[in-house]
Order: sequence, then structure tokens, then C-alpha cells
Amino acid sequence: MKAFVIGFTELRRLTRDRTNLFFLFVFPLVLILLLGASFGGSFVPKLGVVQLDDGGLAGELAGALKQDPSVEVGMQDDADAMLSDIERGVLEAGVIIPAGYTSSIEAGEHADASFVAKPGEFSAAIRTAVDSAVGQQSGQVRAALITADESGDDFESTYATASEVADSFPGTDVTFTLAGAEDEFESLGRFDTGASTQLLLFTFVNSLAGSVALVQTRRLGVLRRMLGTPISSTTILLGETLGRFLVAFLQSLFIVFAAALLFGVDWGDPLGAGAVVTLFALVSTGAAMLCGAILKTEQQAGALVPFGLALAALGGSMVPLEVFPDTMRAISRATPHSWANDAFDQLIGHGAGLSEILPQLGALALFAAALLGAGSFFLRRALTT
Amino acid sequence: MRNAWLLARKDLLRSIRDRSALAVSIVAPLVLAFILSAVLPEEDLGITYGVVDEDRGPVAQAFVSEVIGGFVEEFATVEELDAREDALRRAEDERVAASFVLLAGFSDAVTSGEPAEIEVIADPTSDIGAPIARSIAEGFAAELNAIGLSVATVAANSGSPPDQETLERVRRIAQSMDQSISVADREAGDREFDDKTFFAAGMAVFFLFFTTQFGAQSLLRERGDGTLTRLLAAPMSRESVVVGKALFTYILGVVSLVVLIVASGLLLGAEWGDPLGVTVMVLAAVFAALGIQSLVTTLAKTDEQAGAYGSVIAVTLGLLGGTFFPLSQAPPALATLSFLTPHAWIMRGLGDLSGGAGTVADLAVPVLALVAFGTITGGIALVRARGIVVSP
Repeated sequence: MKAFVIGFTELRRLTRDRTNLFFLFVFPLVLILLLGASFGGSFVPKLGVVQLDDGGLAGELAGALKQDPSVEVGMQDDADAMLSDIERGVLEAGVIIPAGYTSSIEAGEHADASFVAKPGEFSAAIRTAVDSAVGQQSGQVRAALITADESGDDFESTYATASEVADSFPGTDVTFTLAGAEDEFESLGRFDTGASTQLLLFTFVNSLAGSVALVQTRRLGVLRRMLGTPISSTTILLGETLGRFLVAFLQSLFIVFAAALLFGVDWGDPLGAGAVVTLFALVSTGAAMLCGAILKTEQQAGALVPFGLALAALGGSMVPLEVFPDTMRAISRATPHSWANDAFDQLIGHGAGLSEILPQLGALALFAAALLGAGSFFLRRALTT
Repeated sequence: MRNAWLLARKDLLRSIRDRSALAVSIVAPLVLAFILSAVLPEEDLGITYGVVDEDRGPVAQAFVSEVIGGFVEEFATVEELDAREDALRRAEDERVAASFVLLAGFSDAVTSGEPAEIEVIADPTSDIGAPIARSIAEGFAAELNAIGLSVATVAANSGSPPDQETLERVRRIAQSMDQSISVADREAGDREFDDKTFFAAGMAVFFLFFTTQFGAQSLLRERGDGTLTRLLAAPMSRESVVVGKALFTYILGVVSLVVLIVASGLLLGAEWGDPLGVTVMVLAAVFAALGIQSLVTTLAKTDEQAGAYGSVIAVTLGLLGGTFFPLSQAPPALATLSFLTPHAWIMRGLGDLSGGAGTVADLAVPVLALVAFGTITGGIALVRARGIVVSP
């Protein structure tokens, strides 16, 4: 069919340009990788620890902090470097165990561990973990010192006794209970969120960028010459739409499979995911058609990419939708991205099936119909005037 | 040199009239920064805890008023709940990160030396709030156990239960003894952007490379349009043409950055820090961007190709250099690698200034790196540019 010829020509035009291939295939995957590496996985505050003392008590304190599940401890070599890291947000806070820590305590003197952090809620929260570890060690030290005094034994052995007693002490104990059934909790893969949000961002932006080709086709008069051949304007329209759809759809498929293979991304129910991908590719196609039909120069098309990025940001493809304040969430519904992101969130994060995302699919279908309709209308007008 | 200035002035005036150039250099980054900072919630740890006190005894009340009402309320919101079942439900619904449950008989058990229990009921999906609640409870328990622990250790050490007199004495000593170890606070400065400023800075730096690319490729554009030949026919040296283009691009970059900085400060509340430091960073940043995009341009054969290559470079370096999201969260290897990009150095310098802890002296290394980037790439570009100007 002639429409297919036109369509495939468009596909070949776009893929011949190597920089296009970079933006279509390479860059999205690199970004998904980086996003997953940086933000995937649960967020545990990072605590730096500088241990300037070799003694047993210093090591024990560092060990207690390492075992605390509320912080992720990284041993640091240099207190100044650690301070820079804290100031730059690489570490949330730091602890400095000074030289002479163990010997001072063993001699019955006072010792301080330093807690380094920027002022704020986060630091206050992390400080409780440090306070708890220090407090427990301090209690054992007190027991050991008193016992050493009473019995005349040396601190080391009384401390060992105190530690043993502390482990099995029938005093006040803390029971930690997890609420809810364990299996209800769907754990998200590290790269899942990044993959779905970026799939949408790139499909749309690349389609918009690709509309430059359509502007060129118009401006260079190629479109009008096509009319001179025995092809109806409908066939041309179909062909151009098909061309753009093929690029958008194939790019999406590539990202879906590449992300699944390389990063183990689970896209959820295949039918549901397929529906979202197809509909969103249609939305992107429609947008590209519309822009290709009404923009006058290729230069104007250059400003489309930031526009596409802005829509993606509003639609939850940069900052996740779930943190949006209510007003912004309401505004985001004007973008197709928000509906598609929502659908993916249901599919991937909550194990939804096709039937549960029908509202989102419906919204996407409406967007696609409107954009394709407008695009066809304006392109036909450009063809026939 | 005068000719170079004339040329630069001509190009600058043209670009002011070119709306798509303005859109990309100034409008796009501002709008994106605005959207991104609008969709971010207020900086808030957002932890909510529940407290169930079914005991109402003195120890329980001490926990509620001194521990919860004391330092916990500094970083979390606390809800009083009626019963353990409420705590379970709230945690399941993810409405509280965790709840502290003290059942009836708690205080009595503690004061009479019997085993007592503090229960922490947690939301399994809570990353931070729940584990910290556990630390809070364990810290309090350790305090309660402290005296008893001393007594028990004396007993365990001597091998036999101590007599009453010893017990009393140990208790007294333990109660009056100060803590051997305490935690001292050291406040750290700030070398980090706040969220609003991060997006403003990230977008500004990202789009800077598009702005400079636009300027750098104007040489090729003129060649394609045929005006380059005419320029060369004029009584001006070839060098003037190249220098004029470089001047144009540099001024364009600086002006657009300055406009962005001022606009984002006024409209978005972005905090850029010491104006002198920011100026130094701007001058160095545009120099590096100019060098890189000039080099990219000289590697292309047509105007469009230059645009395409320039975009790839701008986008790749922007991503790796931490303009899309802060690299402080990235794996350390990646963070180190990022310093192969000028973007990382620009963000580092601007970040130090924005946070407030950085001084102009701290900018020495970033500025040096940027000047090196600009000189090396710009130098190569200059040499190659002669080729373009010689054979239009």
C-alpha cells in the first residue's frame, strides 16, 4: 500500500541520521540507568564515621552504628573530607570518635563523640540513632566502672561482664512489630520507576523533534509534489501519520525490551503495558503531526524540545506524581503524560491489570483522537491550499 | 579588533530579534525551573508517629512528655492514639511511620524491677521513620535499664547475689554518676543548592550549552547562507571574523546566564549567593561552554550537523555533569567521573556559593578547571576555524 511506502520512507529518513539514533535509543537507556543507580532502591540516610581511636570501645561504637538499620554507615578516613561531603549533601551526617576515646573512658573520665550535621529535621532524626548507640554504650560503661570499683577487677573484664548481662537483661525491652501482611507489599524494582517515566518523556520529545522532518517536507514542497502523483491526499496523510507512529512505537518497544533485559524492569501486565505504550505512541504521533502541520520553519521546531520537556515535567516524568502538591496534581491532568504515568504506576507498583487502568486508557485515547484529528485537519489544509 | 566588535554587535542585535533563540536561551530554562520547583513538595521529612499510653503511670508519662514531647517532636508530628488496634491500623494504612505502645502495668513493672515492654508498631514501607522509632525506644529502654544493669553486673561479676547494703550502695552510685559518654554537636555549613535553586542552576547551565552552540554555529550558518563570502570580501581580516563570532557567542552566553540568574532569583526565589563569586563562575562557565561548542562546530560540515552534534554533547555532558539531578545521590564512581564534564565543575562552584559555606577562594579549583576546558577546546577550535574561513 502506498501509505506504507510513505510511512517507511519517513522511518528510513529519521534513522539514517546518527544523532537521531542517539536520542531515540542510546540516551534514554543511559538516563534510566543513572536514575535507577542514584534513586532506585529505598532511601537510607548515609552516616559517615571517622574513628580516630583504635581502642575497643571506639570500635564497638562504630560497630553498633553499622548495625543500626536506620542509617547506612560509611567509614571515612578524614574528618575534613567528611565535613565537605556533609556540606555537599553526599552524606546526611557524620560522627567523629576522637583519639583517646577508649582510654579516657576506661580511666573513668568523660568522653565526647561529635555529631556533625547541617541543622534541620533530618539531622535531628539521625541524631536519635547516634544518641541511642552512645547511650547504650554509656550505660554499660557505668555498670563496668561501678563493678570494677566494687570488686577490684579490671575494667576490661567487668565491661565484658556488663555486655553479657546487657544482652540478656530482663529489664525494659523493645518489641518491634511490622504491621500488615508481608506479602501485600509490592516491592518496586530499582529501575522500574525511571524506565516508565523516561519511556514517556522520550517518546513524546523525540516525536516532537521528529516533526521537524514534516516541516521540512512541507517547506521544501515535497508534500505538494506528492499530490501531483496519483495518490489521494488521504493516503499521504495516512502515510505521514504511519511514519511518525512507526518511529514512536518502535522506539517505545525498544526501550521496553532493553530495559527489561538490561535492568530487569518488570512492566507489569503485558496487555495493559502494551495498551499504554500503543496509545501513548498515538498521542505522540498526533502531537508531532499537529506541530509539523502548523509550524512555519524548522527553527521554530527547535523550541519544541523544551516544550516537550516542560509537559513531561508537568506530567510527572521528572519529579514523581506522588509528591506533587494537590494543585499541581490537578494541573498535571491536562497532560497526557500524567495519565500514562499513572497507568504505569498502577501496572508496575500495584500489579493492576488492563481492566483497572481503563480510565487512564480512555483519557489517553481522547488525547490521541484530539491530536490526530487536529493534526490531520491542518495537514490536509496545508496539502490542499 | 574594531571589526570583530562590529561583527559581534551585528550578531547580537540579530539574535535579540530572533524569537526562537530567546525562547531557548531564556524562556525555556525559566519555565522548566519554575515547573520543577512548583511540583516539588515543601522540604519536610514528613514523619508522623503515634503514641498509645494505656498505662498512664509515671514512667509512661515521662516517656510521652520528655522523649516524645521533647526531641521527637522536633522532627516528627505526633498523634495520640487510643488503643493498640488503632496503632496497627494506622501503620497498615501507611498514615503513621510507627507507633509507640505502652500497655497498662508498664510503669509498675519498671519501678519494681520486673521485665517491661515498649512496643514499636511499624509501617513496613517506612524507610526512615520506622527504624528511627526503634532507635528512640531502644535508647529510652537503655536509660531505664541503666541502674538495674549496674546492679546486675555487680551481682554477675561477684558470682553471688549481693547483700542489701551493697545493692543500695550500687544503686545510689549509679544514680548519681554522670554519663561517661555524651554526643557533642558540630554544625556543618551548607554547600548545597536548595531545591528551587538547584533547578534554576541546573537548567541555566544545561541551556547555556545550547545558547553557546547557537552562537558558535553561526559561522557555519553564514557559510551556508553565503554571507560569509561577502564578509571576507570586506576590508577585514579573517581573524576578525572568527574573533567576532567568538565575542558574540561569549557575550550572548554571559548575558543569557545573567538574565536567568536575576530572573530566577526574583521570580522563583532562587538563592545564588555571593554576587562576586557568581560573576566569576559565570565568566568561567561561558568560557568553557564557548570552547567546547566551538570545537564541536568545527567538526561539523553543515549548520544542521553542528546543531545536532552540539545537542548530543550538551545533553550528554549535562546529564553526566549533574544538571538534571544532584550527583550527591549518585554512586561514588559516577560522581567522580562527572568531573570530566565542565557542568560538574560549574555546579560545584555555584553550589558552594549558593549554600553559603563557599567563598570566592573555594572557586579557585572549579575556575581553573573551566579555564582549562575552554582554553584547550577553544584553542583547537581556533586552529580548525581557519579552515572554515579560508574555504567557504
